[in-house]
Amino acid sequence: MPDLLACEHDIAGALCDARESARALRWLAGDAVLNERRLAIYRANAAAATTKALGAAYPVIEQVLGPSAFAILAREYQRMAPSTSGDLNELGAALADVVAAHEMGRSLPYLADLARLEWAAHRAYGAADAAPFDARAIAQLPAHRQAAIRFVWAAGTALVVSEFPIVRIWRIHQAGFDGEFSVDWSTGEVALVAREGLRVAVHAVDRGDAAFIAASLAGEPVGAAAERALAIDAAFDLGRLLTGLIASNTICGYTSEQEP
Amino acid sequence: MISNLAVGVGLRQPHYAEVFERRPALGFLEVHSENFFLDGGASMRVLERARAAYPISLHGVGLSLGSADALAEQHLAKLRRLVERIEPDLVSEHLSWGGVGGRHFNDLLPLPSTRDVLDLMSARIDRVQDVLKRPILVENVSAYVAYRDSEMSEFALLAELVRRTGCRLLLDLNNLYVNAVNFGTDPLAALNELAPAMIGEIHLAGHADTDAGLIDTHGTRVCAEVWSLYDAACRRLGAHPTLIEWDTDLPALDVLLDEAGIAASVAARREVAHA
Repeated sequence: MPDLLACEHDIAGALCDARESARALRWLAGDAVLNERRLAIYRANAAAATTKALGAAYPVIEQVLGPSAFAILAREYQRMAPSTSGDLNELGAALADVVAAHEMGRSLPYLADLARLEWAAHRAYGAADAAPFDARAIAQLPAHRQAAIRFVWAAGTALVVSEFPIVRIWRIHQAGFDGEFSVDWSTGEVALVAREGLRVAVHAVDRGDAAFIAASLAGEPVGAAAERALAIDAAFDLGRLLTGLIASNTICGYTSEQEP
Repeated sequence: MISNLAVGVGLRQPHYAEVFERRPALGFLEVHSENFFLDGGASMRVLERARAAYPISLHGVGLSLGSADALAEQHLAKLRRLVERIEPDLVSEHLSWGGVGGRHFNDLLPLPSTRDVLDLMSARIDRVQDVLKRPILVENVSAYVAYRDSEMSEFALLAELVRRTGCRLLLDLNNLYVNAVNFGTDPLAALNELAPAMIGEIHLAGHADTDAGLIDTHGTRVCAEVWSLYDAACRRLGAHPTLIEWDTDLPALDVLLDEAGIAASVAARREVAHA
């Protein structure tokens, strides 16, 4: 269908760049001046769709920047990483990179990490529901097999490491937050993003816990992951960490290799 | 099964809690399919609760059926998964394209009404219906530009699509009115190209009046001219499941229910006259 392909290509070109309108106009009936103004409606629709989809995935960044700066960022996103899918849930994966390369990211250096946290929360929101997990069977295993098990993590679970207090920044921008608005800028935070039931939870975890979670999420057995955590923090308490992660269903199963 | 006299509203996030609390008497609820292209979580739970309480219409906005690119099979696979999970009463998409060359504008762009486009759309609708194992509805879109190469009217093309593929028409009367004003055509003439059995659903919505033309915003009440077009459509084509579509500047749920009530009374009056 060469004509349709050429026609759509020319219109797409005009929607990306108003200076390319002439090629689109030759396909259109009616007054060229009016058609040019009408193409601008479609251009505005595409911009609005991008801004709205990014706003849905990045509500905190939108609050931090305010609507006009966020719209500018959305235009930059459209230029750097234009939409390639009719599924707008997919739009926004590149925002941290777009922010980092933009003046906004240079003046607000925590913004890119905050974007990573929000993208992880966006993915967790629609991740598969975790099946209930009864961890008592682990206690029945002999000690050497306990160390060899690998945990199954709820879909969407992610760690975001930052030299900025991103969990605190995220928290004070949540609807209904009624605590102190102060932020201690001297500390970095590691965010654990995970679905707890239908809710997306974001917790700050210390470096030992983060080392264990990162290793276990990457598929390492419990024993090896715990050794990594102990190497960073001699006070790492595996039992305390697991109790919490199992209670929240963030850890929702395990695999264990059968002995030969 | 949705009755021909059923009137529904779009289920949008700010109304979720109120709809479940009040359980308003509605004939069905419609959602955008793509909002539920998710594996699980709170949104899916809402849709499953809605499905338990009302007939559901899945209205797709992202499949880009008329793109000169290959059909977005991955998108279609997500739709199939959602259809299998929700078992909706209606599934619809648009006579439009959304992108080409890998780039997506996430909009419903109009197509030229040519024999080539008719062939392309027929093949695409056949494919979608094969994958979903059910007929779909195809909606006429609002347009701000018209094509030089069009060889037939939009509704002649849609009627032929219905005949070839067994799909039915989602007749959007606001889009019909917007286009009639934007291109100076007679909206009633379009109704003459249709027969009652071709129609699966009717959409009613509001638009914005700008100096560049009417823009389909789904952000206001249905205007008087579209209500009289609805009356005329019900008289000529009978009553069909009708949706109050509202997507931007969402008002209180009661405003949607009020619009739905008006539609229900028009449909009931005309259904009697039509029969």
